[in-house]
Amino acid sequence: MHYSRITPYLFIMPMIIGLIVFRFGPILASFLISFTEWRGTVPPEFVGLGNYEELLNSSIFWEVLINTFEFALMFVPLTMILGLALALLVNQKLRGIAFFRGMYYLPAITSMVAVALVWNWIFTARFGILNHVLRTYFGVSSPPNWLADSDTALLVLVIVSVWKSAGLPMLIYLAGLKGIPSHLYEAARIDGANGWQQFRYITLPMLTPITFFVLIITIFDAFGTFEVTFAMTGGGPLYSSSTLPFYIYQNAFNFFRYGFSSALAYVLMLIVVIITLINFRYRDRWVQRDVY
Amino acid sequence: MFTKPLTFQSRSTMRTRRKLSGLYGHEAQHKVRRAMNYALLTIVALLMAFPFIWMVITTLKSSGNIFSLPPMLIPDKLFQPDMFSSYATLFEEHNFARYTLNSFWVALMAAIGQLIASSLAGFAFARLEFRGKNLLFGLLLATALIPVEVTIIPEYLLAIRVFDPIMKALGGAWIDTFNPLIVPSFFVGTTGTFLLREFFRTLPRELEEAAVIDGATVFQIYSRIYVPLSLPAMTTLFLLAFINNWNALLRAVIYIKSPENRTLPIGLTTFQNEYTAQWDLLLAGSVVTILPLIVIYIFAQRYIVEGIATTGLKS
Repeated sequence: MHYSRITPYLFIMPMIIGLIVFRFGPILASFLISFTEWRGTVPPEFVGLGNYEELLNSSIFWEVLINTFEFALMFVPLTMILGLALALLVNQKLRGIAFFRGMYYLPAITSMVAVALVWNWIFTARFGILNHVLRTYFGVSSPPNWLADSDTALLVLVIVSVWKSAGLPMLIYLAGLKGIPSHLYEAARIDGANGWQQFRYITLPMLTPITFFVLIITIFDAFGTFEVTFAMTGGGPLYSSSTLPFYIYQNAFNFFRYGFSSALAYVLMLIVVIITLINFRYRDRWVQRDVY
Repeated sequence: MFTKPLTFQSRSTMRTRRKLSGLYGHEAQHKVRRAMNYALLTIVALLMAFPFIWMVITTLKSSGNIFSLPPMLIPDKLFQPDMFSSYATLFEEHNFARYTLNSFWVALMAAIGQLIASSLAGFAFARLEFRGKNLLFGLLLATALIPVEVTIIPEYLLAIRVFDPIMKALGGAWIDTFNPLIVPSFFVGTTGTFLLREFFRTLPRELEEAAVIDGATVFQIYSRIYVPLSLPAMTTLFLLAFINNWNALLRAVIYIKSPENRTLPIGLTTFQNEYTAQWDLLLAGSVVTILPLIVIYIFAQRYIVEGIATTGLKS
């Protein structure tokens, strides 16, 4: 194929424009904006590290930050475990398995706003079906108020998010499981390994590269959680279920504090980047190389 | 002479019998295990699907029975003439027809935008050589990991200060239109570019040769050879982009102001704020929002599921 030197650039022109206008430009811009006080229509004013100082001294910021980590610490392992469990379940040669796989993936393709509504209804304190079941069949005399209680609201967001997000890890794990050569299991069976041992000493180690990838994207998901908070609690009661992405949105688009919310966004980005780097730094400690 | 073969025979029959009974036992065991597998699969499926089931059940109850305790499990309007009355209310009194249409338009246009932008870029990354190729591709992947919260504030400021005035000068607008929901899809698409690049790279280069001899341009090779041959991958990408944009919330919340421009997710959110606790109506809204995707999903599960698994694994 012969082509002039500029031809390839014509093909990627839309993407280059897009990267500049929707990614690099904004990334740089929000860095600069984070050093300004910029409220609504009042022109921005340079304040140096003022916004960062303000957030470090704000008790709400620390509460939100702790919530963000609490959310991630629950969401990441639960999503990964559920994803793997579902993958193991559908990794069988049975008639109709595609139907089950489809059912398990269904939450992942649906609108968060739409499913948040029904979860709200399920978790409703007095008339919700969950508390009815807890009262009637599990003898819980005063079940939690869930979304109305600052101790449980964040937990509800975790539960709904795990339910909705486990589909993707399932599919990725499933592809990984299918890639494990069956002769390994045959050899293990000949050596008398039982099901658990096969899982522990073949499946898990062979899956570590997949697990690493799932870990990275699940962490990214955890620190980007916005829709579930927006749709279910609005960060409440008070700030008890607010996490950084939602707090950034609130500051920018409800309080119109562009400078302050950009500073928050940079803190969030820093956290995600640092965690990702740590993960890559310690990858070799537990991820099997060249397993295939 | 007789005894030996007899004993031999009897021993062998015994062995066969034992083997057979073992086999039968094995098969019975196998059947039990399979039944247990199905039972487990079904229980998990019911748990995963319960919110959807409960959603539909609630929409089929008359408002007086929604708050009954114990909760009514078989809805009272089931198979009654007014079974779908909450859905009718939604469309007749609450503009959901408009929201559905808006969502459809936005998702369709954004998905088309993704196809165009991603296939052009994917083709260049897969088949053309140019300076800065690897760097650009790396940047495309790396910046996808930047949280949207970082970029959305400047994007919004750019929209109100630059795009909107320009569009107004041209007789249109940017804020409170579908443009900010659609146009970005014509420019960036990490998943799409990645997916199509991977697919284009699997196509044999010999395909180009005949076209090159016939004097086809690069663009013709792209549009007449690569695009038609990648229909399965394009379908996957189209469906994924359609689903994502159908569900997209953030930009709709930020940019859409007037009721007639609402997409389903944002229409449902405002509806929720206005009609708190009218669960039959609210959840009918949820069903309307989800159902089109479920229909697409049923018919195209293969493309969606496999597409996700392959992109997920390769990245």
